[in-house]
Amino acid sequence: MKIGFIGLGDMGQSMARHLMQAGHDLAVWARREASAEALRGEGATWCASPAELAARSEVVITMVTASADVEALVLRDDGLLAGFAAGAVHVDMSTIAPGTARQLAARYAERGVGWLDAPVSGGPAGAREATLAIMVGGDAAILARVRPVLEVLGKRIVHIGAAGAGQVAKACNQMIMVAAIEAAAEAMSLAAANGVDVAKVRAALLGGSAGSRVLEVMGERMVSRNFDKGVDARLHHKDFAILMAEAHALGAPLPVAAVVWQQLNALMARGGARQDTAALLTVLEAMRTA
Amino acid sequence: MNIGFIGLGLMGRPMALNLRKAGFALSVWARREASLTPVVAAGAVARGSIAEVAAASDVVFSCVPDAPQVAEVAQAVADGARPGLVYVDMSTIAPAAAREIAAGLQARGVVMLDAPVSGGEVGAIAGTLTIMVGGEPAAFDTVRPAFEAMGKSITRVGESGAGQVAKACNQILTGVGVAAVAEALNFARKSAVDPARVREALLGGFANSRILDNHGQRMIERNFKPGFKAWMHQKDMGIVMDEAHRLGLALPAAAVTAQLFNALVGSGMGEDDSVAMLKLFESMSGGAA
Repeated sequence: MKIGFIGLGDMGQSMARHLMQAGHDLAVWARREASAEALRGEGATWCASPAELAARSEVVITMVTASADVEALVLRDDGLLAGFAAGAVHVDMSTIAPGTARQLAARYAERGVGWLDAPVSGGPAGAREATLAIMVGGDAAILARVRPVLEVLGKRIVHIGAAGAGQVAKACNQMIMVAAIEAAAEAMSLAAANGVDVAKVRAALLGGSAGSRVLEVMGERMVSRNFDKGVDARLHHKDFAILMAEAHALGAPLPVAAVVWQQLNALMARGGARQDTAALLTVLEAMRTA
Repeated sequence: MNIGFIGLGLMGRPMALNLRKAGFALSVWARREASLTPVVAAGAVARGSIAEVAAASDVVFSCVPDAPQVAEVAQAVADGARPGLVYVDMSTIAPAAAREIAAGLQARGVVMLDAPVSGGEVGAIAGTLTIMVGGEPAAFDTVRPAFEAMGKSITRVGESGAGQVAKACNQILTGVGVAAVAEALNFARKSAVDPARVREALLGGFANSRILDNHGQRMIERNFKPGFKAWMHQKDMGIVMDEAHRLGLALPAAAVTAQLFNALVGSGMGEDDSVAMLKLFESMSGGAA
């Protein structure tokens, strides 16, 4: 299949590479041409604009940072909307606001272009190993056509509902995961305040009911105090603005998420934007020694 | 001084009437005829547009729901403004939005003050509002006599946007305060102790506050009529939490309180006064009985 890819960051590079290795005809565009160099060396075609990329592709996948980034890619003068032929599909795998996803789906529908919001969970490791969890919003028939492409990138692909529903699921995912990171950090902090070996606490808990992927991976980063690898906390901070805005708009109370959001705010202020979110531990430590 | 007033709602109408009572010449405009009637009866002159109001005024006030409406009024004021006109927005909006609108107006030769108020409809009618002002000192001095017709405690807090920052602080204190009073009175009731007696006792001590006095009394009477509607407080808490996100600032108590307001609005109590927080706590823990 002729596939276009935009968003060659940490995760996007791995995903684009998997698509080529699976035999797809891949084209790329990037704001900074240099970020596409490696993939071009491996046979990807360079396009001069998003519109040009859209015009040659049956499916375009985007993997960028924020709602405004996706909006700009679609709607700018030489954007995707200007290039797509009717029948093509835009699969956005970024994490953005459900409302933005719904608006873009509607714009595309006027022109006979398909849309799926297909945000992922699994991080850079999941992208590298092609084991991402993919949550999809949009038309089931469009998903059926694109599913073989998504299967190259992830193991678990779930159709959640209409356009925007994938982003709602992703918001739920972020809420659970970051709250769990905060809970792990608080447990580590309580153990440390008691003078108990935090590594042993983590090891013991992994075998019981509180065992989780977060305690395993982020818990290890807390124990080793290695916050340099992983997912930038600024991205989770951005996601929390999305989900708390949804809560506000819907009149849905999220008391725990609201407090976790404040811990993320504090982490940003402490200079932790590019640390892994496991660094939420350091906010608690600052509160304990204030 | 010739004054214009836009936004003759629950708050704006009594504020405009107090300006008339103090003897200021007043021009008004409103979309709905019904909004104009009481102020025109008090001697205000109805104009054909916001720009016409501005053309007839030295100072124009506005009191509207949110930032998009303020931006709209600001543009229309600038369209009709004479040189040196001062535009005073008394709505509650985000500090960043206030600064942006003020900067836009400055480029068109209009000086803007942000001057949100506290005190509710009761304070607006009595002319006892607390007014928190951001903007240039000279403009503040010009407008002060008009402020004094509407409020009792009038403070220039700082530069453009500073009035809205003070209002956000006010909403943190009143929002968290209402929740605290509701929790305390619900705690007393659930412990089979008379909340009215508890309130009375506490008013003599360190937990004494206007909110315990005023809002506490209404909770005991189960009088949930606004006052200040819960959905408006929810809107204001949204402004506070957006600022905190932007600044990288932890507001843990305000964050939970904002969620309680979400719950109030989501469960259909948005038109009640914020004291309906009591009903929310009752239903969370098995009802009022």
